[in-house]
Amino acid sequence: MNTVWTVITVVALAVLTVAQPQNVLKVCLDGCTQAVTTTISLMGIYCLWLGIFEVADRCRLVEGLAKCFAPLNRWLYGRVSRAAEQYISLNMASNMLGVGNAATPSAISAIRETEKGDTLSRSGAMLFVINASSIQLIPTTVIGLRASLGSAAPSDILLPNLIATALTSLCGVALVFCAYGRAR
Amino acid sequence: MNYVLPILLIAVLVTGLVKRVNVYDGFVCGAKKSIDLSLSVFPYLAAVFVMVNALHASGADVYITKILAPPFSLLGIPQEVVQLILLRPFSGSGSLAILTDVYNTYGTDSYIGRCASVIMGSSETVFYVASVYFAGTKVRHTGWAIPIALACNLLGAVAACLLCRVL
Repeated sequence: MNTVWTVITVVALAVLTVAQPQNVLKVCLDGCTQAVTTTISLMGIYCLWLGIFEVADRCRLVEGLAKCFAPLNRWLYGRVSRAAEQYISLNMASNMLGVGNAATPSAISAIRETEKGDTLSRSGAMLFVINASSIQLIPTTVIGLRASLGSAAPSDILLPNLIATALTSLCGVALVFCAYGRAR
Repeated sequence: MNYVLPILLIAVLVTGLVKRVNVYDGFVCGAKKSIDLSLSVFPYLAAVFVMVNALHASGADVYITKILAPPFSLLGIPQEVVQLILLRPFSGSGSLAILTDVYNTYGTDSYIGRCASVIMGSSETVFYVASVYFAGTKVRHTGWAIPIALACNLLGAVAACLLCRVL
């Protein structure tokens, strides 16, 4: 991340300085302002879901969910702590229901449980790849945009989209197995 | 589909009532954690947004698109959607703007429009997700995670262009 970020930013800023020096500061400040507004809206989303998760946890619903997912999770992620197991189950359930909003807070909590060192573990890599290539049943944003721009059949892309996301997920899991071996 | 989430929310709260859990306390307690969580993500978001803004404003992305169009066409990806594929890992709002652009130029129901739709739906903002997920951990070496996720995005794009031809 360090190299990618620094190289891209330096090159982009250098090009921008040559082309339109008066805009450099504005562009950077805009980025920071966007971060503030995004953080506020994320806070709202996390607030709702972490609240609901806490209630579900106190009802021992999360424990039950973790039991349902145990065989799958053991195969995908290997042995992880109890807390991580529960967060991962919440994350998998959110992904399957297509609630990307709810998947993020549970994934962050899970990663904080599994990652204690400075090198990403196999479980962390698997969680990241599954979330970054997750099966999306209905791409609501894209369909909405298509409809608003006068598409004759906005949901015409459902089938190819489903096949494509299923393919990327399978491939992602397979690549993690190739790179890290089987879960221990 | 519209009923799944509302029913789930109500079911959780009702289970709380039945099991005599203090639902109100639980919600408040969980909601409180959202402040810490989002604040710990904030500086990483700032870094990503500054990079994306600079990249887009400098016009460097258009230049890179031109260079990469020929190798992408070998994979069956039309050059009109290359910019979308390249910007997608960095920025959700940026790639949505490009998608709108593609729709307005080529039409939503054209082959290019459908391709772009599936590419958008089957890929993720990999660098954005990485910065959010690894925020607040000590992880500095992410190993294969990011290359694998990027490879999946590319595979999704190739599959999208292929599937839109057939289906």
